Amino acid sequence: MTTITNLLAFFALAATVLLVWRQSWRGRVRLFMVQSVILGALAAAVGALAGRPALLVVAAVFLTVKTWLIPRVLRRMAAGAPLRPVRPGRSAGIPVLVAGALVVVAYVIMLPISALSVAALPTHGAIPLAFAMALIGLFVCVTGRDALGQVTGFLVFENAIFALGVVATYGMPGLVEAGVFLEVLVIVLLMEGVVVQMRREHDSLDVDRLQELRG
Amino acid sequence: MIVLLLGIPLLAAGLFALARGRAATIVHAVASLGTLAVGLVVTTGAVRGLDASALGGVLRVDALSGWMIGVIVVVAALAAVEAPGYAREGSPRIFYPLFHLMLFTLLLAVSTDDVGLMWVAVEGTTLASVFLVNFERTRASLEAAYKYLLICSVGIAIAFVGTVLIYYAEAVRQQGVVEHASQGLRWTTLLALGPMLSPRVLQLAFVFLVVGYGTKAGLAPMHTWLPDAHSEAPAPVSALMSGVLLSVGVYAILRFKPIVDASAGPVFTRRILIGLGLLSLAVAAAFLWNPGNYKRMLAYSSVEHIGLVGLGLGFGGTLGVSGALLHIANHGVAKAVVFLLAGHIRAAYGTVELSGVRGLLRALPLTGRGFFLGVLALMGLPPFGLFTSEVMIFAAGFREDQAWAAAAALLLLVVAFGGLLRAAHAMLFGPSPGVAPSGRWLTAVPLAVALAALVLTGLAWPPGLAAALELATRVIVR
Repeated sequence: MTTITNLLAFFALAATVLLVWRQSWRGRVRLFMVQSVILGALAAAVGALAGRPALLVVAAVFLTVKTWLIPRVLRRMAAGAPLRPVRPGRSAGIPVLVAGALVVVAYVIMLPISALSVAALPTHGAIPLAFAMALIGLFVCVTGRDALGQVTGFLVFENAIFALGVVATYGMPGLVEAGVFLEVLVIVLLMEGVVVQMRREHDSLDVDRLQELRG
Repeated sequence: MIVLLLGIPLLAAGLFALARGRAATIVHAVASLGTLAVGLVVTTGAVRGLDASALGGVLRVDALSGWMIGVIVVVAALAAVEAPGYAREGSPRIFYPLFHLMLFTLLLAVSTDDVGLMWVAVEGTTLASVFLVNFERTRASLEAAYKYLLICSVGIAIAFVGTVLIYYAEAVRQQGVVEHASQGLRWTTLLALGPMLSPRVLQLAFVFLVVGYGTKAGLAPMHTWLPDAHSEAPAPVSALMSGVLLSVGVYAILRFKPIVDASAGPVFTRRILIGLGLLSLAVAAAFLWNPGNYKRMLAYSSVEHIGLVGLGLGFGGTLGVSGALLHIANHGVAKAVVFLLAGHIRAAYGTVELSGVRGLLRALPLTGRGFFLGVLALMGLPPFGLFTSEVMIFAAGFREDQAWAAAAALLLLVVAFGGLLRAAHAMLFGPSPGVAPSGRWLTAVPLAVALAALVLTGLAWPPGLAAALELATRVIVR
């Protein structure tokens, strides 16, 4: 169990780093879906191997929401957006370096925490990996130059927290997981509403144009 | 009773799909009155020490929850009186359901025992209010709504990391198999287990929880969404956000504090809360000297008062926590009144710019006087209740050997006071332009009653208040 969860968490982290490196919009949405599929598999694997049938249901809902519903909304939002999330001429080298540094930071913070459960949790090795994904998602979110980039970052962050819940606690209670899925869906739909209006008003999703409110 | 309290706003939010025009206003009025009445009954029971629970313990109201419910329903009732005027200007079909949905999520957040469900409810408050912030659909309100949605969603997601870590700490308590205690995310369970949980995990969890719920509470440096959202939202929504939404964020932090303290000792949480409280005061004091817009000025004043509440919780002890709780109630009512009056001022003058408003006392005698009194209350002057609660908070600071922090906070408070005074002076006096007052005198009655109540809590406490405050404090400080 330790091997398979570590491997899946590592693949998910690799997908996250690729997402930082990847420039085109469609590519980013695809990588978000890849990350979601891997995390769904991770949840299903933990559910099956640790004998938590509820986690299999959660994994199924997770896959439906993250690889079908949300990408559909994201594509609708991206229709008509500039194809590259980074300005032409700016390379993705530095963000990828930062992502690498964040993995180190995640290990520094989380290793003492996950070490507490070495005997208890076969999935303990994946805790810093999930936390690293969360930090990278947060980084993508705060450095996003347009609304789409920030939303992607938020979704990656949110996925990573789900993974953290799976590997550190074998999944949160069902009522809470249900609430989280519902709210992520509502957030994305609200974002779509805001983005549609933003495009009508500013003819762009560039957040640099949002500067009416100062101080 | 708790189910009824939560059911009324939820049912009302659904009913607006059917009700149009006058019918919608009637549903709004009935639901608001019903929520107020049931809320006050629940509060009265809870602050007498009668804990109530429902739905197998998922909903649980103790004295602290009762205190918060009381503040929420009173502020919501004030906002509800003014709501129809704003709803008619835009689209009542959006305004009313979201208003009651927001009320539902606020009440759920303070009346559940499950910290996971509390998280869901706090996130729900953001989702219900995004379209209310963007109600006027201007460029500025769109920007405010976008920042509000993104910053609060990220913030609250950070709080979820903290919640996961708490659950993790609860699971790895015994080395061996991972087995959660039954209902391991219940606050009562966590509090009982507190001393057995790993201090290291809890400290890390608390950092995430403070950053996350602190974003919602408007503690600096996570306050950046607050002035935009508060200044762009329609006045009743600003009143609800500033008066109770921020306090619900503080309430969430307050619930986790005793759990962390039981395991890691009080010094850790105290340092964080005092630090953030002082920073909030400093940010607000700096801004209040140069506000361009009076709704933003009021929003920064909220940052200041939330900073004071944070300080009170950080100083701790019975005095600090009860001062903070009393301050939550006083500030909620005072800020709601002032935001609602600011709505009248905006309707009369047609601007939110500070430079556009002069001679308020002569132009709108009733509104102007109310605003003047409200601002005096927010400055923390006697005889208003905020003076009493501020004195309690600072006394706690000196008693708990935090004299330096208390002194620094006092200094910042004086700076903020000066800024607010300068801005209010410019608005209130001077030549008055000919503007027509808006609103009917009937809507002035609840606001006048609220201001009178603020004076009352400053001069002499009504019977039962001291006992209620003590019981609510004892939930946190044992």
